Amino acid sequence: MNQKLVNILLVEDDEVDVMNVKRAFSKNNIMNPLFVAGNGVEALEMLESQIIPLPKIIILDINMPKMNGIEFLKIMRENERLKNISVFVMTTSNEDSDKINAYNLNVAGYILKPLSFEKFLTSVATLKNFWQLCEL
Amino acid sequence: MGNASILLVDNRKAIVECIRKSFSEIEVKHTLFSAANENEAWSMLDGSEKITPIPKIIIIDINRTKNKGIQFLTAIRNHTDLKSILVFVITDSKTDKNKVAALNLNIAGYIHMSFESQTLNPFVSVLNDYWNIIEFSSQK
Repeated sequence: MNQKLVNILLVEDDEVDVMNVKRAFSKNNIMNPLFVAGNGVEALEMLESQIIPLPKIIILDINMPKMNGIEFLKIMRENERLKNISVFVMTTSNEDSDKINAYNLNVAGYILKPLSFEKFLTSVATLKNFWQLCEL
Repeated sequence: MGNASILLVDNRKAIVECIRKSFSEIEVKHTLFSAANENEAWSMLDGSEKITPIPKIIIIDINRTKNKGIQFLTAIRNHTDLKSILVFVITDSKTDKNKVAALNLNIAGYIHMSFESQTLNPFVSVLNDYWNIIEFSSQK
């Protein structure tokens, strides 16, 4: 999959977390084009107005202002053009209700953000290996 | 993720054995169940042979039977208690006729793999690493 360099959209309001994802991508040699939206509303605008090329992968935070990750997912799954995008939740929320809602909306994985950057790097490396195995 | 149940749906005994061996060699901590076809799998999910708790993961080759695999996945997605199951399609088929339909049913991964024992372990190992970084809800 990586050879084709599918587009990835990161939906994340925390600037430090955005930086961490960019650093982890760079350190793991993930060269896919990465687009960033600050919350669900912004992400939907980017996707619906086609400002960005359609991503095959979305990395989604849960707790965000304006529109949280679960609300975003609900709307996305009802949109013919967007509903089959692979979504990976990456969040600090360990709430069972968030996990239930996310899996009911068929995310491909729910990942708790590790506290240390080193552990985060390992998680991103695992994700990269998984993405390379899959056909999207 | 903690210990979960994984349901493998495949009618080829040799391949089921190969995957079981690979799980053991890689020390996958999850419990592997297997069903020889979609009907058997359904009875293990919502029938007389029901597995409790419900498996968190299904592994299936949807290209083995005409449309049965897609019908099975559609039924899962329409079932309140089963719709959240993570589905990994693994296939050694050269035709991808069901790929788009499977992706539209929000499977977690569509994976081409060879079922030979020497190449199977690296595949299962990547999948196992991935299963180990994801969280599941504690319900059911």
